[in-house]
Amino acid sequence: MKKLTKEDILSVDPAKKDLGKSWIKVGMSTCGVAAGADEVYATLIDEAKKRNIEIDIRKCGCQGACSVEPLVEVNVEGLPKVLYGRVTKDVAITILERHVRNKKLLNDYIFEIN
Amino acid sequence: MEKKIIYLRDTDSAQQERINDFFTLFSNELRDANLVDLVQLVKIADIGLYEKGVAVKILPENIVYSGIKNTDVKKIIEETVKNNKIIKELLYEKKSKQVRAVLKNCGYIDPESMEDYIAAGGYKALVKVLTEMKPENVVDELKKSGLRGRGGAGYPTWMKWNFARGMNSPEKYVICNGDEGDPGAYMDRSVLEGDPHSVLEGMIIAGYTIGSSKGFFYIRAEYPLAVERVQKAIDQAIAAGLLGNNILGSGFNFELEIRLGAGAFVCGEETALIASIEGKRGTPHPRPPYPSVKGLWEKPTIINNVETLANIPALIVGGGAKFASIGTEKSKGTKVFALTGKVKNSGLVEVPMGITLREIIFDIGGGILNNRAIKAIQTGGPSGGVIPQEFLDTPVDYENLGKLGSIMGSGGMIAIDETDCLVDLAKFYLKFCVDESCGKCAPCRLGGYQLLRILEKISEGNGELEDLNRLKKISYAMQKASLCGLGQSASNPVFSTIRYFEEEYKQHIVNKKCPAGKCKALVYFKILPQKCKKCGLCMKNCPSNAILGSREAGYVIDPQKCIKCGACFDVCKFKAVMKE
Repeated sequence: MKKLTKEDILSVDPAKKDLGKSWIKVGMSTCGVAAGADEVYATLIDEAKKRNIEIDIRKCGCQGACSVEPLVEVNVEGLPKVLYGRVTKDVAITILERHVRNKKLLNDYIFEIN
Repeated sequence: MEKKIIYLRDTDSAQQERINDFFTLFSNELRDANLVDLVQLVKIADIGLYEKGVAVKILPENIVYSGIKNTDVKKIIEETVKNNKIIKELLYEKKSKQVRAVLKNCGYIDPESMEDYIAAGGYKALVKVLTEMKPENVVDELKKSGLRGRGGAGYPTWMKWNFARGMNSPEKYVICNGDEGDPGAYMDRSVLEGDPHSVLEGMIIAGYTIGSSKGFFYIRAEYPLAVERVQKAIDQAIAAGLLGNNILGSGFNFELEIRLGAGAFVCGEETALIASIEGKRGTPHPRPPYPSVKGLWEKPTIINNVETLANIPALIVGGGAKFASIGTEKSKGTKVFALTGKVKNSGLVEVPMGITLREIIFDIGGGILNNRAIKAIQTGGPSGGVIPQEFLDTPVDYENLGKLGSIMGSGGMIAIDETDCLVDLAKFYLKFCVDESCGKCAPCRLGGYQLLRILEKISEGNGELEDLNRLKKISYAMQKASLCGLGQSASNPVFSTIRYFEEEYKQHIVNKKCPAGKCKALVYFKILPQKCKKCGLCMKNCPSNAILGSREAGYVIDPQKCIKCGACFDVCKFKAVMKE
């Protein structure tokens, strides 16, 4: 990695981060991993490839809702940003098919905790 | 009309079947109005409201209605969905009670990517400090902000930094205390795992301010993922030139290293922590001299908690005055709590100082599990105390919690309901402190053990009233005479439970009864013949074959064999098993 300069840091506008991009984030802190986030993350990567669904799948830290881990946050154009909780392998696949491909939200897994 | 989404949720925990009727109602109305293709109806799992009836949220306008009836459905579709008109009498103005400052990047950025941290505005504070600010300006900003240590004691951060800055020494050190060990607390772990660069940035700024060129991350070895991510962050910062010599061309040098804690709770105490980094046995030593005068290798040292350091970048970018605009008179900013125990939504919450305990437990935590009654809240872990439910409306800050006999602590918050026994709770925390006492000073080593013996005696039904005075006397001696915070505060759970729940202790001592049914020696299970339907479920589930009888004759419990596990009590569908 090249050395950063002050300008590199100052020129960044945090408001523009990920503007207009579609992504899936999986909470991968200890709490999430303990609840099975590793498996969910691997499933998302594998199944997205298998099904030719192009979306940026990332890891992130703990969102705070530890009682409903693993947490998966999904942002797809035209739909609100959604936080899914208690995500299993099967739910992860449904998220890819139903939410990402068909732009329909899933019943019973959305958590709006503050 | 543009596309819309309707979220649907029944917020009454007692009536989970009702939501399907509403789903059908909405579907039918949408079909009749020819809106099926335009409106998506979604049942969601949590809408952030509790015990407020059926709630809907209409997106993208973010309109929330609560307590809706069958008859409101048509109106909502006609007025709000079709014509964007708000129905005032149903509207719920939902305001988030949480303020995310320390946790703002947790769950937002990729913790293993420095680019992502910078894209979210990271390291701007470092640039600002290195180009525009002198060390004394940083201290001034901290003073204006009123930031106090988040590790528990609440010492003003600016004073700590200013002492160390004023010391004339060529070598000084910055230490990040990541030895989080309170049972049920994991705020620091989440910050280190979710946003390691913010803590790194805070440490570099601290180094610049006090004139230090070397810092240590002290992280407990039980947090392997945190250690891995912090190490990655350090490597990335070195590669990018944010650690090392001549950082960003300013002439300031700083390096960072991780040291692992080997699992002793007492190493979270600053003098023991220093001994541990030096490679000595982790035991505390008397203060003064304070670490800011004579710390690591006898050089001036500042030790800050993870959360304190994670507060620094945003504080510098936004300014001290902005930081101080949140909070109470003497406690500024936000605090992260690990909300656990008998609460519905356990997890991490970040709230402004001055919020009430009731808001945290009921509005954010969603109330108590199984809708039982709340009895008390425990804050501050084994060094803290309990706060009974009468004081739920107390605003949370360092002073208020102290007045109630508890402490802010590092941020553990445990909800206790009517099925928890306070004697048992005091015993649990005391046992933890007895196990973790380093043994160096007598008040902690002997006092803790004696307290535990007395509590065990009480919970076994052998207590006497004089024991209450003994508990108080020993507790007092430990508070006054112990060497470090561990011993001084180990008796806090005992003190505060006696203060508020003396009646419960007396029940154990005089009546030989445990009202919550937790203390096994004082609990008896009995099958009530008049209620028993002779189904035999209790017998099937008894792990110790203590239930005798048959489907014809009925069942009885053999007290000799009963291990008081409560399995029969839990499985009986007819409430025929009695616990007393």
